[in-house]
Amino acid sequence: MAMVESKSVIYRKLAAHAFLWFFLALIIFPLLMVIAISFRTGNFAVGDIIPSNPTLDHWRLALGMSIIDEAGRTIPPPFPVLLWLWNSVKVAVISAILIVALSTTCAYAFARLRFSGRSLLLKAMLIFQMFPAVLALVAYYALFSRITEYFPPLGLNTHPGLIFAYLGGIALHVWTIKGYFETIDKSLEESAMLDGASPWQAFRLILLPLSVPILAVVFILAFITAITEYPVASILLQDEAKLTLAVGSQYYLNPQEYKWGDFAAAAVMSGLPITLVFLLAQRWLVGGLTAGGVKG
Amino acid sequence: MADVKIDHLVKNYNPGVARDVLRDINLDIKEGEFVVFVGPSGCGKSTLLRAIAGLDDITSGDLYIGGKRMNDVPPVNRGVGMVFQSYALYPHMTVRENLAFGLKIKKVDKAIAKERVAQASAMLGLDSFLERKPKALSGGQRQRVAIGRALVQHPDVFLLDEPLSNLDAALRVKTRIELARMHQERGSTTIYVTHDQVEAMTLANKIVVLSPLTDDGAASNLEQFGPPLDLYHAPANRFVAGFIGSPKMNFLGGMIEEAGAQRTRIKLDTGVSLTASVDSSRGRAGDKVEVGIRPEHTVLLDDPRADNRITGTVQVAEHLGAETFVYLEVGGKDFTVKVRPETPAVPQSQFDIGVPADACYLFDAKGQAFPRTARFNRT
Ligand SMILES: Nc1ncnc2c1ncn2[C@@H]1O[C@H](COP(=O)(O)OP(=O)(O)OP(=O)(O)O)[C@@H](O)[C@H]1O
Ligand SMILES: [Mg+2]
Repeated sequence: MAMVESKSVIYRKLAAHAFLWFFLALIIFPLLMVIAISFRTGNFAVGDIIPSNPTLDHWRLALGMSIIDEAGRTIPPPFPVLLWLWNSVKVAVISAILIVALSTTCAYAFARLRFSGRSLLLKAMLIFQMFPAVLALVAYYALFSRITEYFPPLGLNTHPGLIFAYLGGIALHVWTIKGYFETIDKSLEESAMLDGASPWQAFRLILLPLSVPILAVVFILAFITAITEYPVASILLQDEAKLTLAVGSQYYLNPQEYKWGDFAAAAVMSGLPITLVFLLAQRWLVGGLTAGGVKG
Repeated sequence: MADVKIDHLVKNYNPGVARDVLRDINLDIKEGEFVVFVGPSGCGKSTLLRAIAGLDDITSGDLYIGGKRMNDVPPVNRGVGMVFQSYALYPHMTVRENLAFGLKIKKVDKAIAKERVAQASAMLGLDSFLERKPKALSGGQRQRVAIGRALVQHPDVFLLDEPLSNLDAALRVKTRIELARMHQERGSTTIYVTHDQVEAMTLANKIVVLSPLTDDGAASNLEQFGPPLDLYHAPANRFVAGFIGSPKMNFLGGMIEEAGAQRTRIKLDTGVSLTASVDSSRGRAGDKVEVGIRPEHTVLLDDPRADNRITGTVQVAEHLGAETFVYLEVGGKDFTVKVRPETPAVPQSQFDIGVPADACYLFDAKGQAFPRTARFNRT
């Protein structure tokens, strides 16, 4: 049942479509470039978008297989790219889960409980978060080396340590989730409490199931942030075997030799888990969960 | 089953900053009574209901349910069930899950829970919607689910906040009768908030009239608590008189000409004198007063009970078929009368109406009612 539209609306729609396609191309082009580079023979950043004599060498190396070069020598993969990818996924999944758990409970407190200093705390959190993490790198290093002295499993050069560092960045998520909670009528939880639910049960059985879409969004955002994060991970992690892909793939690029092809293959690979998580999480990104609950 | 006693209750959402929402409320609601709260929007009806349920704390005063002081008892342990003004159904659960939620939380035996849900659903006609989510229900159906959800808990005190406000007229009447029947069957103490006069008059054993607090330092905003007909025939003050009854009571200013224990002579501001069956012995000649006359208590001039005559200018006449309302202007004030159907009333023409002395209400300058010495019924 499409509404009848005037001619000018149709033209405007066409224009909008054209604009969107242009925009999409702008976004997708760099990605295509990287994919092209990863299939291009040799390590060149510039060249045709469709490689003239494509090769799988960069991908073989990235996937941990040896290759044989023109001179007939066997070249072993220089870096454990798959291990890095696994590290990245591990750190990202765990930190995203913890971030969702922390920011949800935090947001519940801010949205539903009344305590003194509430609004001050909220604003302070946001303001502190405005300083880029890069500025605090020294502090991060100092903090974690101190932690290493007392409790090495959470210190420098450990994945738990890195995850711990990532947990600091929840202020924005708290705001997002709090905003969502506030759109859910309080009477739902009150009604649950009259039905005999404890505050925790009202939170878990009523509020949480209704908030699934926003939790999925926060999970995706936290996951992407953790997968692509470079500065903090590069400071905290040192062993080659412990690096995340974002940090490790930089090893391909040193001033003596920019291995653009190998780097591109690793870069495309780091995009895979993100795509996967996004596709999986999409089924939770649904609207209208709260429809029909309250009048008006 | 339980009685509810409210003792000097005060509620202020923000003490010291905001003004009180409820002040010095005293109510004694007997076991099994059906009590209706009425009052203009914002007078604190929902607030009082929420205070009884324990969803809002009480600023001062005491609340007893079943003889037990409940001030610090959490909602779940008060034995109350509540139907929210906004329904507050759980959107992610089916109707069945909505009904059973509380029983599940309280770990009621599965078989008993199932039976109670089946009972409530049959009673409220929800059987064919049990597997649907609230989203897929009409307003009336949602309303019934909300009522059902409170019912299955078998509460001692049943609290309903404007439960019928979203239904169309026909369903409203039907559900109203259903509620009355339910109350007779179960006999649980019921407290009911409504804006609808008919609901209040028909359902209530007793009505509570609340008024919004202003800055005039009133001692309480509980205006009157009593059976519906008492409120209609013997309102405590001008506020209750104006609030109970539809269309509203007419008020005309004047002063006492001759006070008396049985009858009072009043001289209206329009210059006309009027006799009222009111005991004004606590007043004196010359006191400023207001006379109240209900639209349905006026009679034709040739009626033998037409002790007084009021003359006004016709503004509008509404012919509803079964009755006719004529809107007059009397001495610059609106004056509504209910007359026999098809009574001719030409706009801008003079219209005379008879007012029996027994039909008059009288209020002093502070709005307090003088006792009436008779009750008037038109037929
Ligand atoms: N949480 C709150 N904080 C502060 N003031 C409130 C709060 N809830 C209600 N009030 C105020 O208390 C007064 C009474 O509100 P309440 O909801 O009890 O009115 P009501 O009689 O139920 O009105 P209605 O008939 O419109 O439902 C209103 O003036 C309202 O502004
Ligand atoms: Mg209300």
